[in-house]
Order: sequence, then structure tokens, then C-alpha cells
Amino acid sequence: MSLEEAIGHYARLTPDKAAVITAGGTLSYAALWERIRQKADTLKLREGEPYVFPTTQDADFIVTYCAVHLCGGVAVPRSVSGNEIVNCKSSNSKCSSILFTTGTTGTSKGVIVSGEAWTANAENLIDRLGFTSDLLFIICGPLNHLGSLSKVYPTLMCGATLYILESLKDLPAFFSVFSLPFRKFATFLVPSSIRMLLQVAPKELAAVSRKIDFIETGAAAISRHDMERLCQLLPHSRLFNTYASTETGIICSYEFSRYGCEPGLLGKPMKHSSVRIGEDGRVICSGRTIMSGYAESPEATAQVLRHGEVFTSDTGFIDNEGMLHLQGRLDDVINVGGYKVNPSEVEDAAAGFQPIADCICIPAPHILLGTVPKLLYVPRQGKEVKPRDIADYLKGRIESYKVPLLYEAVDAIRRTYNGKPDRKAYT
Amino acid sequence: MKERIIELLSAALPTVDLESDFLFSELDSLGVTTILMLLSEEYGIELEAKDATPKNLQSIDAIVKMVQGKMKV
Repeated sequence: MSLEEAIGHYARLTPDKAAVITAGGTLSYAALWERIRQKADTLKLREGEPYVFPTTQDADFIVTYCAVHLCGGVAVPRSVSGNEIVNCKSSNSKCSSILFTTGTTGTSKGVIVSGEAWTANAENLIDRLGFTSDLLFIICGPLNHLGSLSKVYPTLMCGATLYILESLKDLPAFFSVFSLPFRKFATFLVPSSIRMLLQVAPKELAAVSRKIDFIETGAAAISRHDMERLCQLLPHSRLFNTYASTETGIICSYEFSRYGCEPGLLGKPMKHSSVRIGEDGRVICSGRTIMSGYAESPEATAQVLRHGEVFTSDTGFIDNEGMLHLQGRLDDVINVGGYKVNPSEVEDAAAGFQPIADCICIPAPHILLGTVPKLLYVPRQGKEVKPRDIADYLKGRIESYKVPLLYEAVDAIRRTYNGKPDRKAYT
Repeated sequence: MKERIIELLSAALPTVDLESDFLFSELDSLGVTTILMLLSEEYGIELEAKDATPKNLQSIDAIVKMVQGKMKV
């Protein structure tokens, strides 16, 4: 069953039940289905035609996303950079959506995800995490990213309810959701969001502990300390660490609240997924959840997707019980609270800023995010360069999470013999 | 106090326009948490999640007022 078929199904079965709640109000399944059908009538898309639309954190996003599918079109939620407009001129009919990610390759690309892959992702999550119809799932991350969008599917395919928040920054708004009359609540939080809640809202978390059925984390490494602290604060909740990426789909998940807090342990593959380790230690994934390829980029697709397997840049091993352990990455990508940043992309963007003569982007430790991009820059002779000016220049040219948080003026950038920035010299 | 807060936050959040009258909309969840943690430490006050409202973080002046209010408690 597709997402749209499921919404139509529950519009008949439980028409008055809340499907999507936002600060602006509640849409029942019947109302959601009606709005999707009305929107589909206005779109007039050809089969397989990409439709680029803004990523908004509200019910309109769900309506447009599903309406595009109802027309047979391809949903392309837009990110800050807006590259989607030039990169998605055409697509094939198997494609359901194109999500833009830095992910596996470290360069921003449109990942083609089929309808079958979305359904398999949803079934993986329903099976492993236990989505049920009495659940209120809180979305507090961007809906154009896999972490949040992948939860829309199992929630609505179970006939449960979504609560969409703009972000996690309005913490009183986040905690006020738990006063709604639902028996069970769940959410997806990247490790940096968990760290944030542990730092500034431990009492509030503990106060709602009996209401939280489960929390899923993923996209970046979570520390043993944060896992243990979360288990202490939420002794009644199921806590999962999941391995997923836009290219691979949802692959493995490990319930650390039940089996123990082990950093890097991601558990066994879910029912529609398989994982193996290559000779170079690389994690290789296959199964029904994997992407169909990169939009408009057969060369990049061939590098990552071969014979039905996605070759990730993550390294790890599989233990005697068949559980995946992650160890690191094979490339220079900086993982910023779950968002992948290619340092070359930051350097290329910063190179266009005239007052800078040279620069290098390197990972630097950060108390909340674990690691953040730091820009070392050489001011052009006679120029005074303020970090704020560099950041302002980069905003709008690259996505906000890629804009370095830390800056340092240096006399020169060390380079390798062939002229590339010598990243190893700075680590 | 205002100058010190601007100094602290400028160093920690170089990408944020601290002069904005719509400061809360400029912030992401990391920015909000950074402000709470830095000011709690600097002024020995307890800033919690419930303090991170759009009103309290609307501008630097609003932040100064929130800190002053906490210091009186």
C-alpha cells in the first residue's frame, strides 16, 4: 500500500481522526485526503514529471507531497540552495521523490527514491520500532530530509497522528505537545538534539517520560554518556539507534535501552534490508529500501550503486550476532549533528569571497554538535576580514548547516604536493 | 551587561545577526541552546527550556531583560 492509498483508506475508516497537527490546527484523515485530491486537480503533472516545491514545516507540505504522487509526478522538496531546479529536468516513472543530500558522496545530489523503497522503509520502521495507530509522532526536523520524511510514512500508514513542529528551537512548544490527549508519543532526534535536551531540559524530559513510547536517533554517532543519561531519564521508553541514509534507506536499528548502551552499535538489518562489509571495511547495503540512483548523474550513480548494492563511505564490521558496528568514514565529510558537510564545497564557496586569499575547512570539536566545520582563512593583503562577513557571504550560497561555526585567520594554508588542501596536517 | 552578552554570543554564533529585532527567527535549535548554556554559565543563573520562548529571545534587549530577571530571583 502506498502512502496516498493509506491516507485514502483511513479517510474512509477513521475519517475524523487527526492525521496531521501543527501550530495552525488539525487536519483529520478525511480533510487531509480531500485537500490532497483538490491539490492534485490543480497540479496537472505528466507521469514522472518532477515537481519542485518549497519545504515548509506544515500540513501544506504533506498535502503537496502526496498530491504530486497522486498525479503520478515526482515530488522534489526544495532546499535552501535551490539546486533542484536545474538538476531535475527529467526523471523516470518509477521515481516517487528526489531528495537532495550530501550523504554518501559528500557532494550535493538528488537521490531518486522509488515508491517501493518508501513502502519498504515504512515497513522496516513499523516492524522494528513498533508504530501503532494510537501514536502521536512528533516531527521536529526538516521534512525534505530522510530522518523526518521517512517517519511520515509509517505514521500515516498505521493510521496514527503526526505533529509537525517548525524545529526543536522552541522548546516550550515541543514539550507542550505532550499535553495533547494521546496515550503514546514518539519522535526522531539527531544526537545533537538529544545532547541539547539533556543539557537544558532534563527535568522537562523526565516529566514526560511515561508518555514517550520511543525515541529514535541516528544520522550521527551518539556517545555512551548521552545514551546512558537518556536511559536514566526515560526508564519507560524504548530508545533506538538507527543506521540509515538517503541512498540506502532505513537499514538497521538497535534498541539500546533494552540491550545496552554501546556506541556505534546499530543492530541487525531490518526485514527488507541486508548489509555486508567490503574488503576495505566499507559498509555495503542492499534490499528494497535502496535508492534508484542520482538524478541527472549516471557517473555518480555508478560510483555508489553497483549490482543492486549501495557502497557507502562508512566503515564498520558485523559481529557474531549479525549486528552492524560503525567505526568511521572513508572520506573527508564532516558530520555536523547528522548533516553531512563536504569541506571542499565550503572551500569552493568561500573562495569566491574577495577579501579571502586562501582557506581550508576542517572539523573542530563542539560541545553540542560533536563536530562542526571550522574555516581557517588567509586575509588578502591589507584587508580586514570579520568572521561574520564570511558567514554572511556563505549564507544563501550553501545550506545553513554547512556554514562554518568557527573561524580563524592564519598566515598560510598548508597544501599537498599537488596543491590540494592538506587536511591531514590539521587533524 | 549588553556589551558582554553581545561579545559572548558573537564569538559562539558568528553567523547570527545579533542586532536583529527578529533574533529568535534567526536562531536554530543549536543557537537557542548555546545562548541558554553560555548565559547560565556566565551569570551563574539557571536558564531552562521553559525560558527559551520567542519573546525572551526576540532581541538582545529581551535577552538582557531575561538575564536581569533571573539574577533578581
